[in-house]
Amino acid sequence: MLRNVSLELPPGLTLLRGPNGSGKTTLLRAMAGLVPLARGRRHTPSSLLYVGHRPMLLRGLSPRANLAFFASFRGRTIDTNEVLRRWGLQDVAGLPVERLSAGQRKRASLARIDLETENVVLLDEPFADLDSDGVVLLRAALMSALARDQSVLLATHFHEELDRDAKQRFVLGDGELRAI
Amino acid sequence: MSAPQRALLIAARELFAERAHPDGLAAALTFTGMLVLLESLAFGPGRAREPDVASGVFWIAILFAAMLMTQRSFDRELEDDAIDAVIALPGGRDALFAGKAFALGLLMVIVGVAGGALSIFLLDLEIALPGHLAFVVLLGLVALAPVIVVNNVVALRVRARVAVVPILSFPMLVPQLIAASQGSAAALAGDAAVALSWGALLAAFAFVYAVLGLTIVPAAIE
Repeated sequence: MLRNVSLELPPGLTLLRGPNGSGKTTLLRAMAGLVPLARGRRHTPSSLLYVGHRPMLLRGLSPRANLAFFASFRGRTIDTNEVLRRWGLQDVAGLPVERLSAGQRKRASLARIDLETENVVLLDEPFADLDSDGVVLLRAALMSALARDQSVLLATHFHEELDRDAKQRFVLGDGELRAI
Repeated sequence: MSAPQRALLIAARELFAERAHPDGLAAALTFTGMLVLLESLAFGPGRAREPDVASGVFWIAILFAAMLMTQRSFDRELEDDAIDAVIALPGGRDALFAGKAFALGLLMVIVGVAGGALSIFLLDLEIALPGHLAFVVLLGLVALAPVIVVNNVVALRVRARVAVVPILSFPMLVPQLIAASQGSAAALAGDAAVALSWGALLAAFAFVYAVLGLTIVPAAIE
């Protein structure tokens, strides 16, 4: 349960930390409109990307088809092969997502950041399941998003080195949000 | 991108996923085929050919088949939280119902055609008014989809969704079931006026539930 949480996301990186079970995922899902609010208001921008713990890709479709769906839904035509190549997924771009490893699925899910259309990007533990190359790719994608003046909220336990890039840092504990 | 285009995208995504893993369609076709086969055994060849019996069993089979296919579709969405990505998209919530209902309607047409052909072959059915029958069957299929999709969305996060959706859906589908069965039986027996009047009722149900779905689902899905 979250209480009296007020959070505004300016352009740039906002870091959210907190122990397991503190409500980080609930907060991000509430911001994405996936959890109803018992009280309070949510001002959601017209375009928002939420990448959760799980890949959020439809099984049966390939990473290429999933990505093409998300791009088309936003009315964008993108070179999905180029995006997937950037994420090291060119060899598995046409395979059904259920045949990919957990790390590959995570990369395919994170590749949505490169659609470049969202004002706000919410990432919940995006480094989980990624190998060292994947971490480098994600950091590069984050830097690109920040260069595009997107608002990025990142919930993570690790990667203290991101602190220096963050404009805001918060800790969630006992259902309350504190700036640090 | 307009709302109808977004709904078509959801429908295309659904159909591609079903093509890759046609387990929902396969289950629906198998179930329908088995029920038509069992009908001829249970009622005997003479009784099973009667318009009331043949159309009643056909529509019960279609109803259960639609339930199976829709539940499989939402199971697939819930694996890996794929549905959350759609809901979080701008306009995704609104497009979900229309896209799902449209895709389910198309898949049900396949099941309906296969089930109907099997009924005609196995039961040696005589169809007095084939055009009227096709009209009633098409409207019946269109009238089922919105109700089942709405109830799947309402019970999306319910643990016992497999049981809850039929419990919610069947009472709501009784009028459609009666209209589709009676209309089909009238078309088989050659009563054009009765077939058309039941068809009109099915069209009204399809319209009402489509509007309800478009209104309710975006709010209910949260």
